[in-house]
Amino acid sequence: MTARDTTNSKIYTVSELSQRIKDNLEGSFSSIWLEGEVSNFYFHNKKHMYFDLKDETSKIKIVMFYQNNRKLIFDMEEGLHVIVNGYISVYEKRGEYQLVAQDARPVGKGSLILAFEQLKEKLLKKGYFDTELKKKIPLLPGKIGIATSKGGAVLKDIVSVARSRSDNFHLIIRNVNVGGLTSASELCEAIDDLCEYGVDVIIIARGGGSLEDLWAFNSEELASRIHSCPIPLISAVGHQTDYTISDFVADLRAATPSVAAENVMLDKKKTVLDLKRIRSRMEERLRSRIRLQEGRLGFLLDRKYFRDPLTLLNKAYQDTGELSRDLSDNIHLVAKGKRLDFRYHASRLDPEKTAARINSYRLVLRNTGMRWNNSFLKLRDNRKNKLKSCLTNLEKSNPVAILNKGFSIAYDDSTGKAIKSIKDTGVGKFIRLLFKDGTARTEVLEIDHKRPEIGKKSEDR
Amino acid sequence: MKIDELSFEEALSKLEEVVKDLEKEDISLEDSMVKFEAGIKLSSHALRKLNEAEEKIEELTRSDDGKLVTKELEVNTDS
Repeated sequence: MTARDTTNSKIYTVSELSQRIKDNLEGSFSSIWLEGEVSNFYFHNKKHMYFDLKDETSKIKIVMFYQNNRKLIFDMEEGLHVIVNGYISVYEKRGEYQLVAQDARPVGKGSLILAFEQLKEKLLKKGYFDTELKKKIPLLPGKIGIATSKGGAVLKDIVSVARSRSDNFHLIIRNVNVGGLTSASELCEAIDDLCEYGVDVIIIARGGGSLEDLWAFNSEELASRIHSCPIPLISAVGHQTDYTISDFVADLRAATPSVAAENVMLDKKKTVLDLKRIRSRMEERLRSRIRLQEGRLGFLLDRKYFRDPLTLLNKAYQDTGELSRDLSDNIHLVAKGKRLDFRYHASRLDPEKTAARINSYRLVLRNTGMRWNNSFLKLRDNRKNKLKSCLTNLEKSNPVAILNKGFSIAYDDSTGKAIKSIKDTGVGKFIRLLFKDGTARTEVLEIDHKRPEIGKKSEDR
Repeated sequence: MKIDELSFEEALSKLEEVVKDLEKEDISLEDSMVKFEAGIKLSSHALRKLNEAEEKIEELTRSDDGKLVTKELEVNTDS
């Protein structure tokens, strides 16, 4: 066994070796690509990135300085499978080496897709996509703000849709360059302007394109601006299949700009029709409600009184008529009876005594009448009137009264009896005629049994 | 609230309520008539709102002194 022989061997100092290693490593690995999984990731003050790249058995330290990592569109993070481009740098003071990364790319998918996924994940965690945050898009917005390129096909599409649906709309267009690097901040500014001007809904729109073309709509800057926008906002980017971050943050995602226009433009014809349909539905409802009530009242309505109210009235008239006829018949009957009574009594009395008794009756009646209550006063008056007429009649039957009227009375001169009939006298008999102012003695010369007809006297003769 | 002051949407949602009320089984005839009248007024108001604005397309820009201004923008959709 030979011990270590140092005579022919070069002995390095630490510095010498370090320098040699440095020269060798840095010379051999001045620009390489390294693939591995990110581990022990440390983002110092959000400036320089420190991490390891590892595989199953080994790891290498990586540093990515701010001037390089700021160009990354995706977020470097723990566990990410990446390739990094850079060079090996040896730090002699510590005897360490590391790879200084100048660029990095995700493995298996594009950076943009990764970035999109990462931002989506981040904003999801922040609650930017929460459905309860979504503002309702007004059905009939007065002013519709649109942030898009004013010369583009997108605006034409929107206006065409609007014109096809209604002739009552108000669009406020805020021109933006929807492609290119400045697009995101331009869009943010446009949203600010539309908010300041005051619109009822905002549409941010652009046509289809590659992920790079649509990149502004995947920026965190625009996402947070949309998130804080107080006005309902519709994101209408690209085609049916294109999804952007702004689609998720917006209150509504429209598959295309045309669809966005449909979302804010009521179809006027259809709406008018709908309103009319609602009206007839209400009318039908009211009618059926009335029909129901009619059904409930049907048994009454079917009666002739309701079908022809006059029958009821006529019946009432009829009843009243009968009643009043009954009443007046009764009154007449009563009055008739009384009249007969008076006639009977009157016929039994001679005029003078009758007058005296009637006077006393009158007194009695008057006294009695005074005791009657008001409801009988009328009846009393009637009776009084009747008595008066009776008296008048009696007065008229007084022979003296007859003479006063110009008639004369004939007496048989020999017997002194009144001659009431032609049979009470005869030819050659003497008759005494009584006049109101004297008497005459006359002789009957001729008898005629014919009834005298006063009006035809001269002709008969 | 006065019907005239309602937005289109408010009028529609109130109209919806009215229709719902009208379709209740236990609504009285009197209530039906009151609701019906309100419904007719609401739908007329909604129709009025629908015809309120004229077609107008404007562009929003900033003037030199930084103020927001609008000017008419022609958008030809014939082709």
